Amino acid sequence: MIAWYEANVVLIQSMFISLLLALSIQVPFRAGVFSLAGIGSYGIGAYTAAIVTLQLGWPPFAAIGAGMLLAAVIAYLLALVLARLSGLYLGMATIAYSLILSVAVINGGELTGGAQGLFGAVSDLQTGHVVAVAVAAVVLLALSERGRPGRWIDAVREDPELAVSVGVPVTAIRQLSFVVGGLLGACAGAMNTLLRTTVTPEEVGFHLVVLALTMIIVGGSRSWAGALIGAVVFTWLPTVLAFVGEWQTLVYGVVVAVAAIFVPTGILGLAQDFVRRLRRPALPGGRP
Amino acid sequence: MTVIEARDVAVHYGGIKAVDGVDLALEPGRICGLLGPNGSGKSTLLAALTRLVPLTRGTLLLDGAEYQNAAPASLARRGVARTFQTVRLLPDLTVAENVRLGADLRRRAPAGVVDDAIERTGLGDVVRARPGELSYGMSRRVEIARALATSPRLLLLDEPTAGMNQAERQEISELLRRLRDEGLTQLLVEHDVQLMIDTCDDLVAMNFGAVVAHGSPAEVVTDPDVQRAYLGKKWRAHA
Repeated sequence: MIAWYEANVVLIQSMFISLLLALSIQVPFRAGVFSLAGIGSYGIGAYTAAIVTLQLGWPPFAAIGAGMLLAAVIAYLLALVLARLSGLYLGMATIAYSLILSVAVINGGELTGGAQGLFGAVSDLQTGHVVAVAVAAVVLLALSERGRPGRWIDAVREDPELAVSVGVPVTAIRQLSFVVGGLLGACAGAMNTLLRTTVTPEEVGFHLVVLALTMIIVGGSRSWAGALIGAVVFTWLPTVLAFVGEWQTLVYGVVVAVAAIFVPTGILGLAQDFVRRLRRPALPGGRP
Repeated sequence: MTVIEARDVAVHYGGIKAVDGVDLALEPGRICGLLGPNGSGKSTLLAALTRLVPLTRGTLLLDGAEYQNAAPASLARRGVARTFQTVRLLPDLTVAENVRLGADLRRRAPAGVVDDAIERTGLGDVVRARPGELSYGMSRRVEIARALATSPRLLLLDEPTAGMNQAERQEISELLRRLRDEGLTQLLVEHDVQLMIDTCDDLVAMNFGAVVAHGSPAEVVTDPDVQRAYLGKKWRAHA
């Protein structure tokens, strides 16, 4: 077991970082907000952590906290600016935000290291820390899916007009989903930088948008569990598919296309439907 | 004092005057019915009263205080509940959870408010079902139960008996009258004129976005303008 852990520690770290990244867009998606701003927040967290570690010598959790704070403030301002957008338009605007950030870091001079990025952000962040943070995030999000907050978020996603009619603060919940997505994305980016000790513009580029969306489409967007499924699948799938060699990208594409077309609620939705069918009782007054 | 009042309310969409200069006042503890053909502006007026559409002009008063600029979500906290013309339930939640969504308005909802709403609307046998498993009439009952779970002082109902059979309509009519007797003010939009006559204390008839008649049910259904616009002459004999 220890030998397996040591051989796969990088993949294990990647899985938990990917989980946080996937959660950074799952949280707004769950509230019906098609925002990919969490990806931009990943870049903010990654670069902020590197800068404060290299230039100010901050300890890892202070560096992570600084990245998260900055990303949360920007996410809130973004929520205010983009309040009138929804659906694909909001998605495009938030992708643009992520792309602008990746261009900004290339042109950031000494502060961001330009096209080469920043190197040597050494810290004592351990795998255990990453796991603990990811588990804490999952527990908090799981709690938010239960009871009153869960029903409110469902109402905001499914029917905002109905939600306001029963007193749900729709605008506040949407803004909060932006901010929480920003916090999670920044946390993922900052921890990845501190584990790898480097960050480059390529690492915070468009491929992260594709990766995060892929994880959520295949895993499911309605719950943290969907993000976990997506993170597990897309961390370990390359290892499993090693035997197909150069066809790996094609297989990836087919997996995503099949999931999007035939399982729009993701693997999680499929499992939930199956469990519901098993439990469904005969109902008086139900549909004939 | 009136519970809710609309003064010269207008809602225009470009050149379309969905509601145009409507005055309406609901007295406490009474059921007021809104009659009119499709497209006469009844549902738009309900949306205006609940701040779901912006007013082109006019004033709205709740307990005598203007609220035309209030946030829509704040109205539920002030005791205004509504149902919608089309069934709007959350598909992933059970019936009980959909009803509880109404009670979620208050951090500490009165004890038993959800059970009471479920019992009053006859949903006791389907509390664990999801909306997709319910008939249309049962789904309508869940909407009413959710509104009741907000512990409202004013209930706005948009065609609550649509899709129900005659016996179910009678049950809902009796429920609304019981709630009225307990002090709940209601504004009821329906196309079933007999149900409106049996249930309402006052009627308001609308056509082309304007009020064409108001008064007791007998007065309104015999009004020549209402008969011409909506009812036809058969209601002359009823009244």
